[in-house]
Amino acid sequence: MAAPDTSTADLPDEEIERVPGEGDMWFFVLFESLVFTAYFCVYLYFRTQDERAFLEAQSALNLPLGIVDTIVLLTSSWAIARCVQEARAGRYPAARRLALATIGLGAAFFALKLVEWVNLIRGGHTFTSSDFMQHFFFLTGMHAIHLLIGFVALGILVHQLSDPQRRSQETIETCSTYWHTVDLYWVLIFAVLYIVR
Amino acid sequence: MSIVSNLRANLRTDPKRELWFTWYSTVAFYSLYSVVFFVITRTQPPGKPWLDPEQTVEWFADRHGGLLFGFGLIFVLGGWSATAIALIAYSIRRMSVSRAFAYSYLVLYLIAAVPGFLLICIAMTAGALRPDRNPEMQRWLYDLGFLSFSGTMGVFLVGSLIWMAAILLDKNRVFPRWFGYLNLCNALTEVVIAPSWIFQRGVLAWDGVIAWWIDVAVFGMYTGVFIYLLRDVIIRDDLGTGPLPERPPGRPRRLHPLAKVLR
Amino acid sequence: METSSKLRLLAAWLVLVAITVIYLWIDRSADDGGTLAASTIVTISAIFLALAKVRIVMREFMDVRHAPPPLRRLTDLLIAVIGVSLLTSYLIGRVVA
Repeated sequence: MAAPDTSTADLPDEEIERVPGEGDMWFFVLFESLVFTAYFCVYLYFRTQDERAFLEAQSALNLPLGIVDTIVLLTSSWAIARCVQEARAGRYPAARRLALATIGLGAAFFALKLVEWVNLIRGGHTFTSSDFMQHFFFLTGMHAIHLLIGFVALGILVHQLSDPQRRSQETIETCSTYWHTVDLYWVLIFAVLYIVR
Repeated sequence: MSIVSNLRANLRTDPKRELWFTWYSTVAFYSLYSVVFFVITRTQPPGKPWLDPEQTVEWFADRHGGLLFGFGLIFVLGGWSATAIALIAYSIRRMSVSRAFAYSYLVLYLIAAVPGFLLICIAMTAGALRPDRNPEMQRWLYDLGFLSFSGTMGVFLVGSLIWMAAILLDKNRVFPRWFGYLNLCNALTEVVIAPSWIFQRGVLAWDGVIAWWIDVAVFGMYTGVFIYLLRDVIIRDDLGTGPLPERPPGRPRRLHPLAKVLR
Repeated sequence: METSSKLRLLAAWLVLVAITVIYLWIDRSADDGGTLAASTIVTISAIFLALAKVRIVMREFMDVRHAPPPLRRLTDLLIAVIGVSLLTSYLIGRVVA
């Protein structure tokens, strides 16, 4: 990372240009986003080849639940962004509370996902019952794996915040950047799976 | 000095000659592997999972000579793959993390080589050996070959995660951190192969767009990247145990374009 | 200074939630009359709205707003690539079907 630039010392914090967290994590964000985009493109293409069947299976999805899911993750993104702000200002106890709130919201999302999957399976819609459901469970499953990895990242973040010896703003921001990707991918999944006709 | 005398001098005096030997071996092995699987035997891209026994017999007949010759080559030279694994294990050993990482990686990949690599060679060669065999039996061999090739991704996935963990914990800066994250991307695409045990058609079958094409695209990029990075590691290596020095001056380092942007 | 950035984050969250709720309306209009029908307009607007949300999350929550210009450009390029890829796959699929 570049050496501290003292000429900007007088500028308010938010006007200094810097890469949020490690640049390397941004490489991951870009690469993984492209991989997910490839999965979405495959889904969209195959959807158009069999619209009737896809539409029918899609109607089994619970849209209000999807909306709640989206809002929960957006709020978790807000919480972790606030956490990074508080950490930057040196207010670590507040930052820690916000990080824990993020974990709580992530856990709530995961619980809602499980409920949704169980309901769909009980209704006869499983991984193998239709092409749409194959894509649905695949995409939401892959997303859930990313979410679980997100808990590891948040755990590292909370660990950093808890101990004055350990705190590294860069690590905190890196973990936060990872968490935001969980939100980003869900935003796309929601639009593509729940809304696209 | 002529090229030959240069080479002779280097071979005699260069302390890194074994490392260079394994690196060139790695390049040669992966090239051989690609040519055998994609060109000679044409077992990649994989055959369709939904072929019936008669179509499977045709599949074997189409590739008869290629299968016997290509996999024959692998049977003779397959042990060569050890150099690639050894070099990666060496790079992990060079890190500041516990040696357990390097040894786990080594053991995992050596175990994975049997089902993930040799089994398809054996099954397909057996299939090609006797073309007049019972078609059901031929299809059984066909399934065995492809399922073992795809189905053992779990082992490679864990290997990627071990390498990732080692890189992210490493204080010797052997590999750049973005490569650690690339290991995670690679591991995640390998998760995607698991459903190929369930589907005989579609995007998640063993020849599917997601389970094979996208996965191989990512894996191909990943392999190219780590071969390049291993070369960088050898150039920088001081054969010690501390942080790896940056590239020696006079050799302009061509940064990854993304690194240039993000630095 | 700090309160304004706090408020800014909150404003971003409100906009994102508002866009999410718009999806409810789009969905309702898509299933109007109870018949299931494919719709290019619904698809394109869904994707555009998603990309708008992605950009807001990146700019505001991920702090790309304060990043050096190359990263800002790179993330905008990513969003463009995602958009073009998704729409192309869908439109080509419709043509081929």
